[in-house]
Amino acid sequence: MFRYESLEDCPLDEDEDAFQGLGEEDEEIDQFNDDTFGSGAVDDDWQEAHERLAELEEKLPVVVNEQTGNGERDEMDLLGDHEENLAERLSKMVIENELEDPAIMRAVQTRPVLQPRPGSLNSSIWDGSEVLRRIRGPLLAQEMPTVSVLEYALPQRPPQGPEDDRDVSERALPRRSTSPIIGSPPVRAVPIGTPPKQMAVPSFNQQILCPKPVHVRPTMPPRYPAPYGERMSPNQLCSVPLQPGRMSPSQFARVPGFVGSPLAAMNPKLLQGRVGQMLPPAPGFRAFFSAPAPATPPPPQQHPPGPGPHLQNLRSQAPMFRPDTTHLHPQHRRLLHQRQQQNRNQHRNLNGAGDRGSHRSSHQDHLRKDPYANLMLQREKDWVSKIQMMQLQSTDPYLDDFYYQNYFEKLEKLSAAEEVQGDGPKKERTKLITPQVAKLEHTYKPVQFEGSLGKLTVSSVNNPRKMIDAVVTSRSEDDETKEKQVRDKRRKTLVIIEKTYSLLLDVEDYERRYLLSLEEERPALMDERKHKICSMYDNLRGKLPGQERPSDDHFVQIMCIRKGKRMVARILPFLSTEQAADILMTTARNLPFLIKKDAQDEVLPCLLSPFSLLLYHLPSVTVTSLLQQLMNLPQSAAAPAPANPHLTAVLQNKFGLSLLLVVLSRGEDLQSSDPTSESTQSNQWTEVMFMATRELLRIPQAALAKPISIPTNLVSLFSRYVDRQKLNLLETKLQLVQGIR
Amino acid sequence: MNYMPGTASLIEDIDKKHLVLLRDGRTLIGFLRSIDQFANLVLHQTVERIHVGKKYGDIPRGIFVVRGENVVLLGEIAGRGKNGCRRSLSVNFPRMGSTSLGSLAPSQGGEDLEKESDTPLQQVSIEEILEEQRAEQQTKLEAEKLKVQALQDRGLSIPRADTLDEY
Repeated sequence: MFRYESLEDCPLDEDEDAFQGLGEEDEEIDQFNDDTFGSGAVDDDWQEAHERLAELEEKLPVVVNEQTGNGERDEMDLLGDHEENLAERLSKMVIENELEDPAIMRAVQTRPVLQPRPGSLNSSIWDGSEVLRRIRGPLLAQEMPTVSVLEYALPQRPPQGPEDDRDVSERALPRRSTSPIIGSPPVRAVPIGTPPKQMAVPSFNQQILCPKPVHVRPTMPPRYPAPYGERMSPNQLCSVPLQPGRMSPSQFARVPGFVGSPLAAMNPKLLQGRVGQMLPPAPGFRAFFSAPAPATPPPPQQHPPGPGPHLQNLRSQAPMFRPDTTHLHPQHRRLLHQRQQQNRNQHRNLNGAGDRGSHRSSHQDHLRKDPYANLMLQREKDWVSKIQMMQLQSTDPYLDDFYYQNYFEKLEKLSAAEEVQGDGPKKERTKLITPQVAKLEHTYKPVQFEGSLGKLTVSSVNNPRKMIDAVVTSRSEDDETKEKQVRDKRRKTLVIIEKTYSLLLDVEDYERRYLLSLEEERPALMDERKHKICSMYDNLRGKLPGQERPSDDHFVQIMCIRKGKRMVARILPFLSTEQAADILMTTARNLPFLIKKDAQDEVLPCLLSPFSLLLYHLPSVTVTSLLQQLMNLPQSAAAPAPANPHLTAVLQNKFGLSLLLVVLSRGEDLQSSDPTSESTQSNQWTEVMFMATRELLRIPQAALAKPISIPTNLVSLFSRYVDRQKLNLLETKLQLVQGIR
Repeated sequence: MNYMPGTASLIEDIDKKHLVLLRDGRTLIGFLRSIDQFANLVLHQTVERIHVGKKYGDIPRGIFVVRGENVVLLGEIAGRGKNGCRRSLSVNFPRMGSTSLGSLAPSQGGEDLEKESDTPLQQVSIEEILEEQRAEQQTKLEAEKLKVQALQDRGLSIPRADTLDEY
């Protein structure tokens, strides 16, 4: 770094001539210097210029536009002028919506309006302040040998002026961050943490390293390619936006050229490992935030030479973009557009010189007063939103986003219902179109390293490798302790519950699938469904081969677990009547035990409603036997009635009592509705009822639980079997009469 | 909820004053300046507020960059001058001690909530609040020690969550 050394060595009060001489010596070596030190350079005393700059810095520059004839000013002016031209050109070139972007607006109008307005919302921390504008390319890159002496010798930091109402981010950046001190990390044109944002990934790197000091040369304007359409290297493209100074690095995205390929490049990278073909949606998402997608998304490999043709492509397209939101629910889309409009308006208001639209919400006022507002640019916000949107893509929305789908469906139904009633304006009735991202089968290919002999075994999540030689030993029965057995059994039950639950979810989903499927597929679907229902039942009852009547044990085990109970409640509607009746009987038989086990969960009541529904389909016989089971009544009426803990337990439990009442009610219905029913049945029923009433009368009232619901026909039921006195007793006991409550 | 109703997004919260509760129990109050996809936060003019009983103290901290995974919750707070609302909820975290959260109120252009709680918090100096906090930690530790000792005397031991083995 010959250049640097020489500069460093120069004492500050270096003689001008010697300085010039140095420059001329180097003409052959580094032609860029020609402009700074050689013939292209203005004839000035860098010291003075430096001091002037320093003054400017301190004043927090008012207007640099003072077009004095000063030599020192020239560079400034040239640069300034140059900037203006460039800014103008840029503003002509950018697509319309970009003009709304606050940074662009600032950039465009920046020159005269340099002083920080109190509460100016313009800048981001990445924005060039005066310093950045001056400390341009060369200082941003180590490699650039050209160092504008003016810029290099800038003062440490402008003294802190009155800070309160100033926009701090407009102040000069501390020198350290921008000076090309040898050995320090290169000051990046784009700070490391900046979101990539529609920049060509490879060109990104290049740009960091060597943005050309195009802007430093006074001869810039003619050299500068006015039309963007020319083929420019990514470097040049990148360095251009630095010009307006106000443009933050992240504003690169604004350059249309970057919108094209880089995003396509980025998308596949970002979405690596995701299911789905990215390219089709990628243009859509790109479109969401920037220019409409080019007709054919450029393949990812193309970017370095890419920008040229793409620039043409994109530039020629309509300025107004319509984001691709087809996958969103129409209401969602509406809300989204509304908000976008709002935001645009807000930005317009913010950026306008105050003449546009006088609707400043208090929010805007608040922002105005906040000098640090909008540190996060709209671009960046969009970027984050974009990522969030990408995460919403799915191949099966009903699987991935069940609740969202349901919620909006409900909303839609509501609004549709409302519309039917009122004659509101017709809102969108479009059906929800979920773009199914095509599922690509990814065949996993293990990582292959170049130059290595053979294949390296690399273990990853897609390609797991055995690391430990663990031998699975099954325990023998002797070794197990009772405790372990119990635990194992419980675990097995849990596994069965899980499996059955999966079946249940599938079965519940069949309706939807049925609607979506084709005609031919439907029988197959039905079969599948039936099959699954059978498996569910088998799981519940613990079907074992060779056993005639499976024991209740399996079922009871399932019912001891909270999830099992809820699952049974959900399965019941799908079972056939016999199967369901069987379940009900088993439950009734084992009810005290289940009640005991349910003490903590208290989830048995959820079974009441499916049981009630079931009961209405059951014949009298079943109901009778059910009642018997439930109350654990002795087989014959004549037998002495021992203490009946079973019944007691049942009555003391909310579910038990409710179930009992429902059963009684159903029995009553059957009796009253069908007087010509078989005598045996009705005899049986009568017998059972006698016993039941006897039992009921015995139970002390205090122990009774509060039932979930009391059927209304119980009074008439009991009135048949008991006399008035006892009827009254029963009524009070069971609180059958409304008034007593 | 900026662009995407139905999703949670912090974009609309930018440039507003927030109260952030971190996993280690700290309460930060600051202007949310920037976010990213991990909900990493950049807080500006941040103040760490320590609550002890009814007193609280603010320690000005400047700019905070918070890694997203360390945030328990955050919410916008209505600004009232520099202190924000004085209503508070007391929340007890088992490990971190009791924390009082500033109330979370939607910003309507910085309007205050009208109601004041019955017992407004009292702001004290930093030294004082730190002292109070130390004292509180101390008493907690001692109580814990006593409890563990008492249990041990009775032959019981309650395993701590971080030292719990499976089975």
